[in-house]
Amino acid sequence: MTSPAVVVVGVAYFAVIIGISVWAARRTRTASDFFVAGKGIGLIALTVASVSVSVSGFAFIGGPGFIYAVGLGAMYIVLPAAVTNVMGAWVLAKRMRLLGEARNLITVPDAIGARYRSPAAQGLAAVAMLVGIIGYMATNALAMGVVINSIFGVGLGWGIWIGMGVTLAYSASGGILAGVYNDVFQGTLMAIASVLVFLFVLDFGGGLGEISRTILAHDTIFLGPWGKLTPLAALSFFFVFSMGSLGQPQAVHKYYMLRDPLQLKWYPLLKTLGLVLVLLLYFSVGVGVKAFVLSGRLPPLASPDQATPSLLLNATPIVLAALVFSGVAAATMSAANSFINIGAAIVSHDLPVAFGRRVKNELRWGRAVTILIAVAAAITAQRSGAMVAFLGIFGWGLFASTLVPALAVGLNWQGATREGAIASIVTGLVITLALETAAYVKAFTFPAGVTASAVAMVSSFLVFFVVSWLTRRDAQSAIDPDVRLVMEL
Amino acid sequence: MTEPAAPKTADTTRRASLGALIVGILAIAVGYLAALLPGETPAWAPWLLALGIPVAIGAIMILGAARGRMGIGPLKYPFAFVVAVLAIGFCAALALPATESPLSKLWLGLPARAAIVIYGVGLLPIIVLPVAYALTFKTQTLTADDVERVRELAREYRARSEQREAGSDP
Repeated sequence: MTSPAVVVVGVAYFAVIIGISVWAARRTRTASDFFVAGKGIGLIALTVASVSVSVSGFAFIGGPGFIYAVGLGAMYIVLPAAVTNVMGAWVLAKRMRLLGEARNLITVPDAIGARYRSPAAQGLAAVAMLVGIIGYMATNALAMGVVINSIFGVGLGWGIWIGMGVTLAYSASGGILAGVYNDVFQGTLMAIASVLVFLFVLDFGGGLGEISRTILAHDTIFLGPWGKLTPLAALSFFFVFSMGSLGQPQAVHKYYMLRDPLQLKWYPLLKTLGLVLVLLLYFSVGVGVKAFVLSGRLPPLASPDQATPSLLLNATPIVLAALVFSGVAAATMSAANSFINIGAAIVSHDLPVAFGRRVKNELRWGRAVTILIAVAAAITAQRSGAMVAFLGIFGWGLFASTLVPALAVGLNWQGATREGAIASIVTGLVITLALETAAYVKAFTFPAGVTASAVAMVSSFLVFFVVSWLTRRDAQSAIDPDVRLVMEL
Repeated sequence: MTEPAAPKTADTTRRASLGALIVGILAIAVGYLAALLPGETPAWAPWLLALGIPVAIGAIMILGAARGRMGIGPLKYPFAFVVAVLAIGFCAALALPATESPLSKLWLGLPARAAIVIYGVGLLPIIVLPVAYALTFKTQTLTADDVERVRELAREYRARSEQREAGSDP
């Protein structure tokens, strides 16, 4: 796909990214600027940036393809968005923002270390996150390669390096400050593209009712409440993507950045509305393309992942197609930038703290590690083939199973102990790695509806409760007064 | 440093929500365990998730929202509403017979069971929860005084840390 209109929109997109990055680089002077934007981001910018990093390329390509393949059962991945933002606000936002205020925290493992007064818990959380980030980064690097190849026709390998090079340039120079303001631009682009595609699909299909009638005439199960999934599988998605959202560092980390903690008041409402707009494409393309293929208005797809490209190339105006392709590039680049920054903070800040040493110049180390992570991700994406998909799958589940009990419950329950936190992080890490690896090498097959992420998260919760109960004797006295105040408020 | 006293109401609310969270997670665990055992997944296994997930989500939100002497105050209504919407939505999808056909009556463009899930589970909580969060923010979540109290304790903490570090210098 190398239509001049697509290339022009693609070039304009990259020009804006570079402009924002140069501006942000001039304002990044300290490690706090680099990792948490100096805790000076306003409400609207933070909200749009948070929407942008919450939605990866999956929402634009893989997600609609998943709906096309299994029907409405695939919606259980995005339905939790109705509750996750406000749940995160009640459970984590206030406490993490105030902890950041009290202790000058800059990372998610920092919060775990402060809550349990435990460098070991902080270090373990950092290790678990680093393992998950490797998977996410490689997946996003590959997705960037695919999209850039679609826009400029440069080949997958060059696409990976161009995409990662641009992301790296603004990540290393402007850190999260560049990331956040690029996210604002990218999130706005994604929302506009999503709404326009949604309206186009409704218009092209004669309304949702007509689209449903077309599908029901050929495939009634598709529009059943579980689609072609089992009820257990669909509900399992809802569980992992709702409760698991409390452990996603790319979203949780953003709470530190809000300039004024009192602005949290409107954060969940704005973020939820933003997510709904961005996810309109997920639903409309998945369901719409199914109807258009069944009615013969679009050719049969070679694979479900072709749902979005097929609609864009065969039905939509070329400018809209170009906008959506830039939106997909935006989604992958914004997710990659966020993970690069979090990974750099882990290596240059959390791991040294866990070992009782602090590096002297965290900003310089942060920039150096940013380069290493980006290059490693690009190489992994180029060389690993199918392994990349495997890494991407367990990234989300790993964050959920290792961080949710220790962080989300731990910041709200004074009976939680550092032993419970450490045991639950280790449980989540070991079970996720063991089960995902066993499933990947086909040593074990899960029954329909059961996933490694779900089993690991449930196990991690139960271990957290049991070990905290067994070691509860000193739980209250092991919390610092300022941390306790934050937990009481 | 002054240590804040834990009010009793909030403790009761937190204890109850923690208990509900454990019950919800246990229900989900039993559902998975049943599926992992040899043979067909029992028909009751998804019901445990359909009930356990809303309970666990409601419980962790209450655990996070409980504060001061009020516990969760007026938030009990939106929380109860959302837990009920999720539970009813999932259970209705499980219980209602599959009658989708080209002649099905459509609700806002979707067959009944799909509409319950997409519009009920996916949209109703959006209308209620974030608005409830914003409307109760000052009484239930955070005030300028709260922020100042944290900043004051933080200043004390930093002063103590600096004193400790100065004391350990040769």
